[in-house]
Amino acid sequence: MSEYFRKYIKKEHYANHYTNLKFKTSFRNCILEAFKRRLWKETDGDDWDIMWAEKEWIHEVMDHTHLQPNQKINHFRNHYELTRKDLMIKNLKRYKKNLEREGKQEDANNYNFYPLTFHLPSEYPIFFEEFKRQSQNGDTKTAWIMKPIGKSQGKGIFIFNKIQQISQWKNTLRYNQDNPQAEAYIVQKYLADPLLIGGKKFDMRIYLLCTSYQPLTLYLYRTGFARFTHHRYDNEDITNTYVHLTNVAIQKTSDNYDEKLGGKWNLQTLKLYLMAKYGQEKVAETFYNIQMLMIRSLQAVQKIIINDKHCFELYGFDILLDAQLKPWLLEVNASPSMTSNTPIDFELKCGLLDDVFTIIDLEKVLTGNEEQIGGFDLICKGAPIKLPINSTFTTYLGAFNNRQQQLKKIAKSTAIRLAQTYQETQTKAIEIGSKGQKEKEEKDKQMRSSSKGPQAMQNGVNGSNKPNNLSKQNTIMKRNTTNLPALGAVQNKSNIKRQPLQNAGQQQQQLQQSQSNSSKKNNPNEDSMLSANQKLQKLTQESKINQFQPYKQQSQYNDVMGMGSRNLQKNEE
Amino acid sequence: MQQLDNQEILMKLKSSKQFWDIKKKIKQGFNEQQKIGVNDIQKFAQSCEVEDQLIKLISHILKKSKKRETIKEDQIEFLNTSKVKWTELLFKNLDIVHQKTKNQEEDDTNTDSKLYIYDEKNLLAFLQTLKQQQSSSLYQNVQFQSNKLLNINIPLKSSQSILDKYQYLLLQEELQDEKINKIRKQIENEHLDIELEKIAQNFVPNGERCLLYLKYFEFDHQETVIQQNFAKLQKECLIQLFYDELLEIDGHEISEDTFYFVFQEQILTCLKCFIRDKTIKENIRIQFQNGLKKENTEFQLPVTGFFPFKNISKYVAPLCYLSTKIHIIYALFKEFFCRYFCFLHSISSESNSILSLCMQIEEIVSTRSPKLFHHLKVIGCDTLKLIIHQLVYCFIGDMDPPHILSIYDQIIGHDSLEILVILCVGFLNKYKPKLLLAKNGENIQQIFSELREDKFQELVQFAYKQ
Repeated sequence: MSEYFRKYIKKEHYANHYTNLKFKTSFRNCILEAFKRRLWKETDGDDWDIMWAEKEWIHEVMDHTHLQPNQKINHFRNHYELTRKDLMIKNLKRYKKNLEREGKQEDANNYNFYPLTFHLPSEYPIFFEEFKRQSQNGDTKTAWIMKPIGKSQGKGIFIFNKIQQISQWKNTLRYNQDNPQAEAYIVQKYLADPLLIGGKKFDMRIYLLCTSYQPLTLYLYRTGFARFTHHRYDNEDITNTYVHLTNVAIQKTSDNYDEKLGGKWNLQTLKLYLMAKYGQEKVAETFYNIQMLMIRSLQAVQKIIINDKHCFELYGFDILLDAQLKPWLLEVNASPSMTSNTPIDFELKCGLLDDVFTIIDLEKVLTGNEEQIGGFDLICKGAPIKLPINSTFTTYLGAFNNRQQQLKKIAKSTAIRLAQTYQETQTKAIEIGSKGQKEKEEKDKQMRSSSKGPQAMQNGVNGSNKPNNLSKQNTIMKRNTTNLPALGAVQNKSNIKRQPLQNAGQQQQQLQQSQSNSSKKNNPNEDSMLSANQKLQKLTQESKINQFQPYKQQSQYNDVMGMGSRNLQKNEE
Repeated sequence: MQQLDNQEILMKLKSSKQFWDIKKKIKQGFNEQQKIGVNDIQKFAQSCEVEDQLIKLISHILKKSKKRETIKEDQIEFLNTSKVKWTELLFKNLDIVHQKTKNQEEDDTNTDSKLYIYDEKNLLAFLQTLKQQQSSSLYQNVQFQSNKLLNINIPLKSSQSILDKYQYLLLQEELQDEKINKIRKQIENEHLDIELEKIAQNFVPNGERCLLYLKYFEFDHQETVIQQNFAKLQKECLIQLFYDELLEIDGHEISEDTFYFVFQEQILTCLKCFIRDKTIKENIRIQFQNGLKKENTEFQLPVTGFFPFKNISKYVAPLCYLSTKIHIIYALFKEFFCRYFCFLHSISSESNSILSLCMQIEEIVSTRSPKLFHHLKVIGCDTLKLIIHQLVYCFIGDMDPPHILSIYDQIIGHDSLEILVILCVGFLNKYKPKLLLAKNGENIQQIFSELREDKFQELVQFAYKQ
């Protein structure tokens, strides 16, 4: 959580301090809350650093706006290539064909995760042929689902198994035949054997963050939901939308909607259930397939989406499991709902958004090479990331979400790294400064003028800043280290007191000494470096202790549920 | 007891896979010989342990053909009269509940969702009353134990023997994939109770549990029968019973549990079928309420022979994690209830009964953690009052479903509920430091109202901690 970053990283170590950051959004739900929790300031003007915009804004305004290099926005320009139902299918089909053409049959075969789909009205004849063919095969029970393009939350969706049932729709279409704005639909073969839990149908909402399409950089969130219908599934009764549609917006209107639990399971609970029922291997395979499905979907549009360093996008994937545990892609949402219906939901979404903001890294504190940030795991950077061979995981999706511990750890290590780099840059500045001073002195001598030039004054100011900082670090070191003799510490103290008065030349002398390791005890610079290293060691030890699992059998359970983190493995390595 | 003749034994033998394996082995042994005498076969069988296997198989078949009689009368007469009293009390409660529901119908605003005939606290309170009656009449020597909540003289296993029995759980290690696969194959091929019990005692791989349970209960080839029976019961559910309403109210509680709300409907269906199932009376191992008929009322005991109680839904819930088929869930629940859970509600001197389990727990805690035992007594919150909920409901709702299923494995593995004693002791030990700091009942409530996560293995470890 960003609190950890605020807690551990010193103000002067930030490249861009959080108090300087401004956000803009028209949303008034978890998004606003997550922004506020980061202590960023809200703005109405164009001086924002990050904007969480509605999709429409992107289409209407973005093309006519010049963005500043530091500005970030939550959609890619043509995100609809993936997030509009018809275009997504079109792109997936096209990519599959391309792979076949290139002779990559095996890769092409992997693109089998979307149901048979047609675009209406344009593909009506082909659809009708297919419909007839299925009916002739005696497959009269095959149901089809009609979804209006560009509508969300289950609006306008209906299911049918007789062609007459869409006659009404057809008539209105014919009526509008010449109207180019006739409402377009897609028609999909309805997946008739979904996996039922407790006799109820469910789909999964999984969050994927894309920070770049070139190279394709994807982060997968460990926690998602399984959203249940409130009524028992009945293949015969296709008119009851409560039975078939899992959208919360639809289920909310049902009479027996449970407000407290919101009809949802988190992915961890779902995984637990599936594991008890189907065993670990099968579930691991399923979740891995889900992860690959998501990567493949984005690979399919990678060349089509206009990459832009200002843009990032949090996608909400809707995925359905069939009775054989095969995942099917239903839809990709560009603006997954960030409205919560339970307190747990609220916290989860705020946490999710906070992690998104951490990855976007407006404060510029991260290296960009982190494998896990909060609940997000890096799953693709140019190519899909493979987990170590000895890993018990195939994917961290649905694994225990250890975001709090992880953020604490990453904040600590980032703080140390930033402190070190800050120090290095300061040291360099001093070096350059004192070199400049010497040169100047020599020049001045040559010119027979006094040594109190303006640059020397400036160096003096720079120099005095540095020791102040060193003194701070020195005191930290004293608290953390026990193996230094007390005398040394006292000596250090006296040094610190004197330092601001010393001139830059003396400081450089000290630095040179520290580089040659000649005066360990006397040199505050060396000590503060040491303290940083020791701090790092201490922190890694701490994190080891945090993750220590006292019970053998429990660790087995944890393995299965993903409680043991990737970091633990790393430490062991 | 029904005796099988030789022909019937042979028929049963032929239905087991192991028999054919043995036959194949013998055939392979005499591959090239043309004349084979009976003596040869006997010799061969003795030499390669085939005989032992065959004897095991036959004795298993004979054992299975024996039907376990329902325990109706207890050895200790005093408990029999107590059982009658308990049932009378429940009939009174039923009247109250009935009156309440009537009032509710008249006044919609007064919806009391906590309608039940009895809960675990009522049961414990009743068990407590047994002490006074007994000390005054039958037994004189109970005074030295007076610090315990229950002081009834019934035959008890030594607590040390229970602790010793489950100590092996401490040493369980993670298994390699190869071993797990081996166990999987074993479950698929094995039909013998003893072997299945052994597997259950040690490790049941996820995904195989349902098969193991079905085999153990001998349902593995009877799915169609189970399905038909269940369909029949479902039809009967169309006629409403008063108890249905109580079950529905009970279901609301389970609907608040994150892990089980999805199954609320299935659980309710199972229970509605359960209270209509006439075969339960003959299958249940112990009759835990005395079928006292009350004249002049429309309310009598359900055909099961006992009243549905509060949280009965909890016993069904974890089984929903084993199968998507409701008839399988029902069959497993029925068997678990008739074999084991019925003892958790029975006033009896049997080793599995709630009375015995409670006394075992008190015994272990008072000897191994006397300080805690005394402290709880002093602050007026006895040990048993603390853990009665966990004990009666097998920790369901207190642990995640996989852990509950581990408990079920152990119950089957040892054909006994004693694992609950170990877990309850572990549970108390885990919270011992906090409990010792508690000054009153409120403090204790606070401890348990905090978000907590208990795990099977963890509690076992704590149980053996001194």
